[in-house]
Amino acid sequence: MANLEVPKELREEAKQHDMYLHPIDKDTYELFFGPQHMATENFSIILKVDGNRIERAIVNPGFLHRGFEKLAEQRPYFTNIALILRICVPESDVPENIYSMAVDEIVGWEVPERAQWIRTVVLEMARMSAWMFWIMGFGNEIGLYTAGQWAAAYRERFMRLYEELTGGRVYHIYTVPGGVRRDIPGDKWLRQLRDTVEYIKGKLKDFDEILFDNYITFERTEGVGVMDRKFALKHAVTGPNLRAVGVPYDVRKDDPYYLYPELEFEVPVLKEGDSLARTLVRRYEMEQDLYILEQLLDMGPPSGPYMVKDARLKALPRFKPPKGDAYAHVESTKGDFGAYVVSDGTHKPYRAHFRGPSQSHGVTVLEELLKGARIADVPVILKTLDNCPPDIDR
Amino acid sequence: MDMNEKPKVEEKVENAQPVEETKPELPDTKEGKLVKELIDKAPYAEGSVRRERRVEFKVPAERIHEFLELASEKFEMLMQISTVDWLKEGEFELVYQLWSVSEGIHAFVRTRVPRDNAKLPTVMDIWPVAETYEREAHEFFGIIFEGNPRLGPFILEPREYEKHPLRKDFNTLSYVKTIYGEDFDRYDESKTNYVI
Repeated sequence: MANLEVPKELREEAKQHDMYLHPIDKDTYELFFGPQHMATENFSIILKVDGNRIERAIVNPGFLHRGFEKLAEQRPYFTNIALILRICVPESDVPENIYSMAVDEIVGWEVPERAQWIRTVVLEMARMSAWMFWIMGFGNEIGLYTAGQWAAAYRERFMRLYEELTGGRVYHIYTVPGGVRRDIPGDKWLRQLRDTVEYIKGKLKDFDEILFDNYITFERTEGVGVMDRKFALKHAVTGPNLRAVGVPYDVRKDDPYYLYPELEFEVPVLKEGDSLARTLVRRYEMEQDLYILEQLLDMGPPSGPYMVKDARLKALPRFKPPKGDAYAHVESTKGDFGAYVVSDGTHKPYRAHFRGPSQSHGVTVLEELLKGARIADVPVILKTLDNCPPDIDR
Repeated sequence: MDMNEKPKVEEKVENAQPVEETKPELPDTKEGKLVKELIDKAPYAEGSVRRERRVEFKVPAERIHEFLELASEKFEMLMQISTVDWLKEGEFELVYQLWSVSEGIHAFVRTRVPRDNAKLPTVMDIWPVAETYEREAHEFFGIIFEGNPRLGPFILEPREYEKHPLRKDFNTLSYVKTIYGEDFDRYDESKTNYVI
């Protein structure tokens, strides 16, 4: 590269005329990636690029900050459900569930069996619809738009089931402390769910042909954004990203909740730790989730109430749990999603702190993985890490 | 010696049995064993088992780094650092949430620092992911983590950065009124039309 430093004499002469000539490095430049870029989803990364290679990446969040944690301190316990489920849009049932689990633990409620069954089904449906949403994004990033459009259409089937169950398509406000808000609509709904599971199961083969077993996917993802086991553990990477480096950690197995101890399923693990391994782990997990849903449907909803019987539930806005705190977490498609709720005995939570899985793999890990990658790899790394910006901003 | 004579205070003190601190006994489970192992190595910390797969430690703020370094052998992952602002007590409570992948146990490691001049050593050298959580705690509560090079505006806008909005004495309404002034007409002062 030619020496582009400005000669000293020239610089001093310029200074006398109120001009400051800075040395220009022609090949290195700064690139603002997002927040309007489709791949980043309201998230910005400042890249320092040398030609086509990224030298340094700085994550620049804050475009989504909606102050949920501060707001949650100013609202009664049950009203907060309508607020915090907006943390992660593709699977809004997860924040609802962890918050409810934490409040249940503080109060000391044992959730009825029927409610547990419904909550498990709802969480697995959330996982399936979030996988479809992820395929939509990932397919678009690597240029296979057809797969994305199919996935969006299949996700719609789950949305329709949700609408019948809860009244909402995307935001459900369904799981509340003590159980669920209303009962399942009836046997017709269960039949529809079974049909949908069967249908998606058949369609997985199509996804294999177009996306997961495709030459383009392998070309774009193999050896891109590699991390090793030690790095992943130190950075608290969870979910499919951790399983892609060979650690079989799944909250459903290691800290079981609801009906998961009674269900049979495998935790897929790969060792390579690159984008391809992360993609394939997700593909195997889809199969397991459909299998779990099938088992739950075979089991059938247990009879009994769908909400705990407690006199305090009659005056909901003034519902007061005892003093205490609890941490609850579930396995979401992004990883280990946790909530820490502190109660000081009043009708509002004293503090609600949420652990979005993207908080660990969307900031420091992303910055490390982007070093040395090509510009074209940025969306691929972002999507295979499955970064959800509202987890970070909240 | 007259038997009816009352013993003197000095004798009482001498004869008194040393009062043993009654510590709650740890159950004979994997959680109890893990807490005992850690407490034996770090006698300055208090440990207890909350329930299955949940343990709790209380550590003084000066020795938090030492304790977490010790704990990191068993707990591979730092899940998050939660801060609670106890305004009446004038203290911040920091809860380091740890997860042990090998044992399947979640640990709360609690420590308290005074609200004014809240300073703690960084734990970035133990878990690099702490950088993000410390930046968050610094921005929202104003806690200084010594040794973290990236403390500064992270999520908030610069005008909000100095305010530390998640502190309990931060008044959201008055802040909004100063920022938006007369344009802000959505708040009903009398609160009569409010549902909650």
